[in-house]
Amino acid sequence: MVVRSKTSRVLRTVAGWAVVALFAFPLYYWLTVAFKDGNEIFNWPPKIFSFTPTVKNFEEVFGISLGFGFGEQREVLPGGGNWRMGPRLWDSIVIAVLSTALAVSIATLASYALSRMHFRGRHHFVSWVLSTRMMPPVAVAIPVFFIYKDLSLLDTYTGVILIHALMNLPLAVLLMKSFFDDIPREIDESAMVDGASRWLIFRRIVLPMVKGGIAATAVLCFIFSWTEFLFVLTLTQTGLKTVPVVSSTFVTSTGTAWGNMAALGAAAMIPAFLFILLVQKHLVRGLTLGSVKQ
Amino acid sequence: MNDSDRKIYRAKLVDDFVKGRISRRAFLRNAGMFGLGAAALGSGLVRPSRVMAAGGDLTPSKDVLDWVREVSKPFAGTTLRLATESTPPSNAINSQLKQYFEEASGMKVEIEVLPLEQVLQKLTLDIASQLGTYDLYYIDQSWAASVSRDVFDPREQIADKPDLAMPDYNIDDFLPALVDGISKYEDRWVGVPYDIPIFIMQYRKDIYDKMGFKAPETLEEYYEQAKAITDEMGPDMYGATGQMKSGHYSLECDWTAWLWGHGGSIFNADGKFSGNDERGLEAMDYWTRLYKTMPPGVTGWTWDGQGQSVAQGVAASMMSWGEFFPYFDDPSATKVSGLMEAARCPKPKHALRTVNETGFGEIPGVGHQGGSSLAVSRNSKNPDAAWIFMQWATCYDTQVLITALGGGTGPTRESVYDDPRIIANRRVGAGTTRHLDVVRETIAKDMGSEPDLPQWAELSNDTIPVRLGKYFAGEYGSAKEAMDDIAQAVDKIVQG
Amino acid sequence: MKLGVLSADRPLVWMLPLIFMLVAFTIVPLFYNIWLSFHEYAPFKRQLVYVGMQNWQQLFADPRMWESFGTTMFYFVVVLSAEVVLGMAIALLLDEEEFGFGLLRTILTLTLVVPPAIVGMMYLLIEDPEFGVLTWVLSSLGIMDKSTPILATASTALWGVMLADIWQWTPFMVLIFLAGLRSLPPEPYEAAMLDGASAWMTFRRITLPLMSKVIAVAVLIRGIDIFRMFDYVFVMTSGGPGTSTYTLSLYSWQQTFSFIKWGYGATLSLFALVVILVIANLFIWAARVRW
Repeated sequence: MVVRSKTSRVLRTVAGWAVVALFAFPLYYWLTVAFKDGNEIFNWPPKIFSFTPTVKNFEEVFGISLGFGFGEQREVLPGGGNWRMGPRLWDSIVIAVLSTALAVSIATLASYALSRMHFRGRHHFVSWVLSTRMMPPVAVAIPVFFIYKDLSLLDTYTGVILIHALMNLPLAVLLMKSFFDDIPREIDESAMVDGASRWLIFRRIVLPMVKGGIAATAVLCFIFSWTEFLFVLTLTQTGLKTVPVVSSTFVTSTGTAWGNMAALGAAAMIPAFLFILLVQKHLVRGLTLGSVKQ
Repeated sequence: MNDSDRKIYRAKLVDDFVKGRISRRAFLRNAGMFGLGAAALGSGLVRPSRVMAAGGDLTPSKDVLDWVREVSKPFAGTTLRLATESTPPSNAINSQLKQYFEEASGMKVEIEVLPLEQVLQKLTLDIASQLGTYDLYYIDQSWAASVSRDVFDPREQIADKPDLAMPDYNIDDFLPALVDGISKYEDRWVGVPYDIPIFIMQYRKDIYDKMGFKAPETLEEYYEQAKAITDEMGPDMYGATGQMKSGHYSLECDWTAWLWGHGGSIFNADGKFSGNDERGLEAMDYWTRLYKTMPPGVTGWTWDGQGQSVAQGVAASMMSWGEFFPYFDDPSATKVSGLMEAARCPKPKHALRTVNETGFGEIPGVGHQGGSSLAVSRNSKNPDAAWIFMQWATCYDTQVLITALGGGTGPTRESVYDDPRIIANRRVGAGTTRHLDVVRETIAKDMGSEPDLPQWAELSNDTIPVRLGKYFAGEYGSAKEAMDDIAQAVDKIVQG
Repeated sequence: MKLGVLSADRPLVWMLPLIFMLVAFTIVPLFYNIWLSFHEYAPFKRQLVYVGMQNWQQLFADPRMWESFGTTMFYFVVVLSAEVVLGMAIALLLDEEEFGFGLLRTILTLTLVVPPAIVGMMYLLIEDPEFGVLTWVLSSLGIMDKSTPILATASTALWGVMLADIWQWTPFMVLIFLAGLRSLPPEPYEAAMLDGASAWMTFRRITLPLMSKVIAVAVLIRGIDIFRMFDYVFVMTSGGPGTSTYTLSLYSWQQTFSFIKWGYGATLSLFALVVILVIANLFIWAARVRW
């Protein structure tokens, strides 16, 4: 371990906190917006610390203590009945979880082969997989829209799950390959000598060893699906919507409901962040994307 | 606050509390300020199950619902879809009224609320792919020409399906000016007028009083007032504001108001761009001067930022969408509740051009309208069911409820303006209707409508506002240079 | 040893689902786009008509295209460099166990879970010319005042958009680089310490070369996404003021969805694809990235 002087340690500590504070500040500010009412969001100078917090925005977005009940007259809210975001969070979760599961399964199978078996053009194959990520989203969205139209997949969970899984495949393959590469080949080889089949080795021996890697890959896929905008915008109609797309509901013809948008944004951070916390250890280990070990 | 205002405010407070809009604590706090004893709370003020607004019962009329129930029998279980901008009428229907329709008809109505650009995207994709996802189209007036062939003409629907026609629907009740300006392309009706945001003059009475100003009569007077306010109170308060975000439709809207107001027009009778003629340049000169009295942020704002600048007390006036007015009066969202006054737009500097002097059915007028119509899609798989919903959503009774429930946008039916429930809502507060007389007069006398041509969506959302944005960013040497460039680009697109 | 077609010893069997997905969702769309680029949607006929090379000729003669191409490249270079440099600096800073650094690394990942579309809105509010926090900070510091609204001034708008991107994705680079730093062998560092090398020398001579592969892959992955960036400009400036923040993605989106010029939109997309393919492959070759 390198020995460092006390001054440099203090400096480093202060600098680290300062830098992270700088990055955290916009989020903190966004969070305050979620707890402000309309008048306090717009102020000069902006109200950063001193404001009267209200949970009104959250109540409105999640319909917690609000009666939208039949017969009860309320002021018409901007966003109309589309303000109840509970079901939209659910849509987001279903899509993110299932598309992650699909992407990780496919990527795990493929990258096991890429890591363990030699075949000609392997490097080119990986490059090709990566290059599919280079397609501009608009160029994918239109053809897929027409394919989905013919297959009745528009506006369905299946449709969005498939496209999100696809979008995550290149990254998932690179990641999973790096985790497989970390496991010594000798383990497979000795099992092979004992007469175990590839499939058995994969399932019983190698797979349990990359559990952490799978978790880390899953989190990244989850985040990318959770935050994706353009495909959901194009391929859904009224049936389902994820958080990024539905947040534009708050942009109305008489102004943007910033407080409510921030409330939704803040609430939407929680599930994804929880996943990150769960697998952080593996995330920091695995994100070298297979570029370290050869 | 004078005595009558105090009374109105107090009544509103009780009303709010009863309807559950404000908490008990907020009520007590405010009630104390306005001399309403806590005794009122003890006097049986409990939430009634059914709320009576000042002017009467705010639930749909039984006759209308009975008709819906009767005529919808074959369509029970149908799901209808509509994509619409998040406008006050759509929100009122979605959050308040559609449940009555759903209950009576046995149909399900899904309303997708989106920003305007995304509505256009959904609609064009639906048309181009002939998908029929949306049974009803929400059609901004600037798209009317391009979708006219994809929707049913409501007059034909009435004639072809007498058994589905709503008795007393009275299609002639729609304000003729709106039918012409919003819903007509050539001879066809592209649906019926559904909402009508329109430019009116909205100004801070307190500031105008302090400066000794009255609502401006002429454009030049408006400029003088704006300049005086900015000189006197800037940078805390500006005399005027705008929606001048580069490349955004709103910038084009502002432009047309000044252009028409100076006797100019977008197109001349030959269908050539004429914003670069003498009148057009005079308008640009005026606008450039007025721009200097606005907050510096205007070039980044659409109607959103523009409205916010008034709501937060940064700008003293705006000549813009009247549907902001009920929002300004909402004390929980703005700092100007009760301080705003509505007036007709200033008079044009030179005589307005007539429709014959312009091209593509353009109707010059300072009161720029941004209305939309509602129509049944020809791609719909349930056009009859959609037609029932459309009649219900645009009938007299529903429109009264939309407006009274705080929609506050101008009704598109003549008779709705005179309904007692609407008149009763003329108090200060969220969802007020006290600006509607001005709206009505503006529609009748000042309304300006954009031209109808299939290329208009591109021209008004890109070609024109992108270059106007460049002009205000200082990328052109002069207004003439900018307008000549626009002329060249527009003519090229129009000629294909 | 003879292998059955579906034997688990054939790599193809393992990769079949992957190949199926990629073919269905990228190769098919690719050919569709190529086909589309020779057609155009005719609004009056409500159908696609063959137009030959017209879209391709228009592409190269379109000043808007070249301008947005330039904007895309500028954005690409600036944002990518900023994220790499800042990411590396912060990773080096946080790669110790000082007080609370574990927590700091966790907090940093928070920026990743906010959807870019919402980040765009967030920065729209932060950079608002009248009420924005950033406007306030800058004007308090005397750097800029309200008379130069960040997102509405041609010379600053793109920087305003870049800020959102850099804010959101620098932590992603930090994560990758931290992972790389932790996998470095300790021996060279011990040797360097014995030689009394300065921190800068250690970084230049040891860390950077050892990290080069990690950096290369990070640049590749992030670069691809930066080049295709859409959400931020779409939400924050819609290309304005004027055309100063039009990127290729936004321009092709607009042609496709706002003007229903599917053919030209597809042509623009293909052009963008070719550009990034060339850049990425040159980079893979030059940086000797091998998988």
